Amino acid sequence: MNMTQLPIIKDVYGFLGPDLMACVTGLLLILMFVPLNSAFLVWVERKVAGHIQLRPGPMEVGPHGILQSLIDAVKLMCKEMITPDLADKYLFWIAPCTVVIPAIVCFVVIPFSPIMQVRELNVGILLIFAFSSISGLSILMGGWASNNKYSLIGAVRAVAQSIAYEIPLLLSTMSVIIMSNSLKMSEIVAAQSPVWNFVWQPVAAIIFIICTTAETNRAPFDLVEAESELVSGFHTEYTGMRDALFFMAEYTAMFIGSSMAVVLFFGGWYGPFFSGIFWFVLKAYLLVFVTVWIRWTFPRLRFDQLMNFAWKVLIPISLLNLLVTAIVIKVL
Amino acid sequence: MLTIKTIDDININERLYQLNLGPQHPSTHGVLHFLLTLDGEVVVKAEMLIGYTHRGHEKMAENRIYEQFYPNTARMDYLSGMIFNTGYCETVEKLCGIEVPKRAQYVRVITSELNRVASHLLGIMDFVMGIGAYTPFLYGWDDREQILDLLETISGSRLTYNYSRFGGVRVDVDQAFCDGARRFVDRLRGRFKLYKDLITDNIIFIKRTIGVGVISKDVALDYGVTGPTLRGSGVKYDVRKNEPYSSYQDFKFEIPTKEEGDCMARYLVRMAEMEQSLNIIEQALDNLPEGPVRADVPRFITPPAGDCYHSFESARGAVGYYIVSDGTRIPYRIKVRAPSFSNLFVMNKILPGHFVADLVAIFGSIDVTVPEIDR
Amino acid sequence: MNTSYGFKEYVKDIFTGSKSLVIGMGVTLKRLFQPIVTVQYPRQKPIMTPHFRGHIEAILFDDNKSHHCVACGLCARTCPSHVIKVQGEKTKAGDKKYGKKYFIDFTKCSLCGLCVDVCPEKTLKFSNEYELAFFSRWDGVMDLMQRLEERK
Repeated sequence: MNMTQLPIIKDVYGFLGPDLMACVTGLLLILMFVPLNSAFLVWVERKVAGHIQLRPGPMEVGPHGILQSLIDAVKLMCKEMITPDLADKYLFWIAPCTVVIPAIVCFVVIPFSPIMQVRELNVGILLIFAFSSISGLSILMGGWASNNKYSLIGAVRAVAQSIAYEIPLLLSTMSVIIMSNSLKMSEIVAAQSPVWNFVWQPVAAIIFIICTTAETNRAPFDLVEAESELVSGFHTEYTGMRDALFFMAEYTAMFIGSSMAVVLFFGGWYGPFFSGIFWFVLKAYLLVFVTVWIRWTFPRLRFDQLMNFAWKVLIPISLLNLLVTAIVIKVL
Repeated sequence: MLTIKTIDDININERLYQLNLGPQHPSTHGVLHFLLTLDGEVVVKAEMLIGYTHRGHEKMAENRIYEQFYPNTARMDYLSGMIFNTGYCETVEKLCGIEVPKRAQYVRVITSELNRVASHLLGIMDFVMGIGAYTPFLYGWDDREQILDLLETISGSRLTYNYSRFGGVRVDVDQAFCDGARRFVDRLRGRFKLYKDLITDNIIFIKRTIGVGVISKDVALDYGVTGPTLRGSGVKYDVRKNEPYSSYQDFKFEIPTKEEGDCMARYLVRMAEMEQSLNIIEQALDNLPEGPVRADVPRFITPPAGDCYHSFESARGAVGYYIVSDGTRIPYRIKVRAPSFSNLFVMNKILPGHFVADLVAIFGSIDVTVPEIDR
Repeated sequence: MNTSYGFKEYVKDIFTGSKSLVIGMGVTLKRLFQPIVTVQYPRQKPIMTPHFRGHIEAILFDDNKSHHCVACGLCARTCPSHVIKVQGEKTKAGDKKYGKKYFIDFTKCSLCGLCVDVCPEKTLKFSNEYELAFFSRWDGVMDLMQRLEERK
């Protein structure tokens, strides 16, 4: 039976029109998916960390502790939200609100499968890059408004870091865009149907993954939080649900970064035997696993080394990669 | 080009700011308070404020008999409690002229070296955790757990052992302990490759540690730095070798040194020292003599009037106990020379010009226990 | 200090660095599939060694089906934290003293074991109990003689 024939759906459908209808349901799905996904990723992170460190991780709530992060979320919602006396009240309040905006908006253009995409935009990739930079702004706002020196250092580091890492990120994306000749997400995926871009662009793919790790402030680039130096960086003063929002944004950004890598380099929804959302989600979560795995293996870089690494290693290599790609495309 | 001005050059309100790192901070082991003056993220001036865990151990000693000071010794440096405990007993034995049986001396050497390995493991892994890698910490913890289990089988406790007694040790070691110690020696030797792969060779670790926090030979000697920190600066000084106490003259072992004096050198010295400790343990187990483990000493000891200084090597450096006796059962004065104190305050000299992130690395590589400083 | 950092070192750093990172990731991946080493404490209980030092406990001797405490008070005197209180009583015959009440305040005990060492009758030992958390300060005060009666 066609879902659109149901009376209530039909009414709504008639009222909104097909395009808007898809948007509304898509957004509702996204709003449901974002918190659940981050709860799941927190659990995955704790579980992987546990087993890497030869301990079981959360075990008590639910089978193998799978409900642990939901219970934690309930706890965080019940907690008092403390605003420090000397903090800038409005900025302090706005920062966690704005940090979830990119987390939600970026999902709009991600093509999970040929039909599962909320909105097809001609410049989908640009939208994601534009919005994901907002998180840098909210981190700066949160860190500045906290009026805490640790938070301030963390926030300043975050801004410098995102400037440094956006460049190689865009450069490595550029080489893919040159190849597929489009900024449309679904077309980029469609261009990879026989062979994934990863085969042609391994260097760009690795640079892209490194840069998304840095963009989402994950270890070994987690200087913004840097527990052993800055207590917990920009969200030192945040409590309760506000802290949880920062957390949610971090894990969602991680998923978006992995999804982007899947779209750009790992063939999107294409996979052996059949193609569809299954392959996309599987690949995205595998990449999330890789970032988690990296986090629990390496020490943290120092701030100047982080900058050196971006400006002296990643940018030259990605520029070189872009040049070679352009020449090869032109010649062939 | 970043030029670091000294604190006198510019108005403090203009650009410098102060940051209280500690006393409650994830990486100031225990409760140490750094009062940093920062220019951006660069340390211009660092002050170490100590005393948050002052419990007055030295004063306590003046109000109790010699035996009652046992539990205090392990609580000064809780990470090498066995060494501190044994050292105190050796000092009093030296004061009273008690001859310790050879077997007891060997058992003390074995337990002290096991404790030293445990302390070094914790020190290294904590250093690595300060740099940001959490997983090696727990691998090291796993190894350390084996030592604690082993020491628990003979002393009954895992951290504050109270194992040495005047004239010997409390409980004789059994075959199970010796076998366990041998198994541990083999296990840890096999694990060194893991640490090499995961930490020593890691490019991020290398970049974070080489050339960071260089303590030159002269500075180290001026500040009275001892232990692995001094040996990392290229001075071949180890109390175990230079003034052998207990039975250390019986064993063959090297004093690992490095010339660089940076965090990496200190880390490598500790790693090499663990291997040497394993050698000592193996030799001691091979040549463990038979006999009693405790000399015939009175129930409550009464040293003759006089004073005595005894120095020994803990995991952090040369510890000194100075005991003044007035001929009664209660000591007149016990003074402890804690190595962490001098090792910590050399940071005053070397910190300016480093980043806050380096502070954590340097602090970790010097491996300080704060309760030992505060006593 | 490190002046000779040229292009060659730069390239070498990138390659050896990447190699070391891959090796490190291999180490942790291997550990990911190894069995865990921790004990799930409330579900699994660790077994204590015979020498484990819990709080002190009076030994039940077979010869008189009781303890050998003579209430000499050496343990109380030697205790660094003044944890022990012993109260003795004369036997019916009046020639011997025995310990009637033996209180320890475990909350103050530092587990040094001096009382066990010093006991002339060797009637003290360490218990193997390690679950010694209390809800009240007074729960830490225990009468060893009463515990001995309960064990009989």
